[in-house]
Amino acid sequence: MNRKRGVALFAIALFLGSLSHTAAVASVDLSSGIRYVSDSGTLSDCSAKAKAALETYLPGATESSPGSGEWSAMGQNIATGAASSGAAVRCYPLPKGYVVTFICAVQLPANPYPAHALCLNIAHKFYGGAITPLAAMPTASPVPTGCATTNLVGNWVSDSDSKRTFTMQLNGDLTDNDGVSGNWIIDGDTVTLTYYGNHTLKLSPDGKHLSGGGYNLTRKC
Amino acid sequence: MTRISRCRVALLAVGLIAAFGALSTPAPAALDMNVGVGKVVANQPLSACNGSAKTALNSVLQDAVELGGDTGEWLAFGAPDSANGSTAAATIHCYPLGSAYLVTFTCAAQVPPSPDSAAALCTKLTAAFDSGAR
Repeated sequence: MNRKRGVALFAIALFLGSLSHTAAVASVDLSSGIRYVSDSGTLSDCSAKAKAALETYLPGATESSPGSGEWSAMGQNIATGAASSGAAVRCYPLPKGYVVTFICAVQLPANPYPAHALCLNIAHKFYGGAITPLAAMPTASPVPTGCATTNLVGNWVSDSDSKRTFTMQLNGDLTDNDGVSGNWIIDGDTVTLTYYGNHTLKLSPDGKHLSGGGYNLTRKC
Repeated sequence: MTRISRCRVALLAVGLIAAFGALSTPAPAALDMNVGVGKVVANQPLSACNGSAKTALNSVLQDAVELGGDTGEWLAFGAPDSANGSTAAATIHCYPLGSAYLVTFTCAAQVPPSPDSAAALCTKLTAAFDSGAR
């Protein structure tokens, strides 16, 4: 009888725990179909506008290969610590002018606005048109100051050179002690620093140490 | 506290740990996006691109649609799973260039739970497109 009671308690505990596993339905939302043809201008012109339009909404636009005219950027949901939005602007030269396409993807419900809203704004930023304010990306409130494992916000010091410091901000920007800027993204405990190239690092379980890619950093928290 | 009570408390604790312990382990789902291949196919009509785009999307994802009709811009999503909506999507764009066409592949996936990264999805689509275009 006592064994039965014990088993019952174990089952109740499992059930209680399982109640908190109710994952929100999440899905990928992809927007395509915005295309713009310019009968003047070069691929370089298109690339410059593509980069600027992307970076109005998403940090750190990169070209898939130099001179390709294919640009993309990702946006991070700080609250979840993972990328939840992205966009690609692809430029191709024509005999006269260029053609450019706009493609956006977001993860719902983690992202606060749909893919088409993001794409419309990026496209309108590129070739002109009405800009509609996008819903604000959820942020941890207040701005995190501790050694959170879901973000890198705070001040970091190189373990090998105490004069080398990095300030990482909520929006994914980083700045070193010389004023050189870059970006950070965290996915689980894997961190990508874009700073003189891309570097992959691991965040320690206590959120205090970053290591990998030639860097060993400690957060002041 | 009796021995039986201690046993019950221990079992309750083990059960709670077993149930809640798993919560902290999964990595958060992240959006993955890939700018796939863009290439010019010479001496082929736009209709060939459209046909291959639709076939490729339907073979890797499902229910490919041409946006707006006769635009050459094709879109498809993966089958929704039981816990989520579609966790993979892709678009293939066909654009006429005289007697040739330009085709581009762009993919997105939510990883996890999508088994394919966006890059893997685009690789599959490109292969399916190329086999259909032969």
